[in-house]
Amino acid sequence: MLVLRRRAGESVLIGDEIEIELLAITQQGAKIGIRAPRETVVLRKELKITQEQNTRAASGPSVEALEQALHKLRP
Amino acid sequence: MRDVPDGTLLAITGAMPSVETKYFGALPYTDESLFDFPQGLPAFEDQKGFVLIESPEKAPLVFLQSVDRASLCFVALPVQMVDQKHQLAIAPEDLEDLALDTRRQPVVGADVMVLALVSLHGEFLATANLMAPIVLNVKTRRGLQAIRRDTRYSHEHPLSGQAAHQSSGVDIC
Repeated sequence: MLVLRRRAGESVLIGDEIEIELLAITQQGAKIGIRAPRETVVLRKELKITQEQNTRAASGPSVEALEQALHKLRP
Repeated sequence: MRDVPDGTLLAITGAMPSVETKYFGALPYTDESLFDFPQGLPAFEDQKGFVLIESPEKAPLVFLQSVDRASLCFVALPVQMVDQKHQLAIAPEDLEDLALDTRRQPVVGADVMVLALVSLHGEFLATANLMAPIVLNVKTRRGLQAIRRDTRYSHEHPLSGQAAHQSSGVDIC
């Protein structure tokens, strides 16, 4: 992973079309602004992970299979 | 319409609405078990209504059945079943959306039910998503998926096999 040190107001460019600007740093975290082409999907990573996990969870394991897998968890 | 399996949920009294379910056929439900998800769930944003199905014979598993889509039913476990020492860290914005006090974490049982969605990987490994639990306000019957801002818990917390007994709350990725 490339690691850069940036101060508030400074930017990083990714390719020709994506700019990430560090807007402000507070105790709650860093506020960043992203400038990218409309077709580029920008997503918080944890939201993407949650979407993937939900899709997997909904993909319909049989309850029997789940119960078998969970056998050791049951009282 | 299929029969309701024995031992499955709720006393049936009077005229109750019923929901077509993925695992239990058509099932009557009470208002107490119907939850409103104004934002849906990530990847299922259009699904706004879920019925919580608790069946003694399937316990501790519970089910979140979509009202609008019979084929959509999540299997879940109360987080305290997954990890006895589990600690909530619901973001203030999520607490606000649930109409809960934003100055403190809600109390499981009294204020909220907190469920981890379960996934199956292959034949034997089941995991629970502790990173983004489903939080249900039991008083207002409103729910959402509360994605944690920290990295304390895994989105694939192993449930089966030896790992299930190492419920220390340590992140296992």
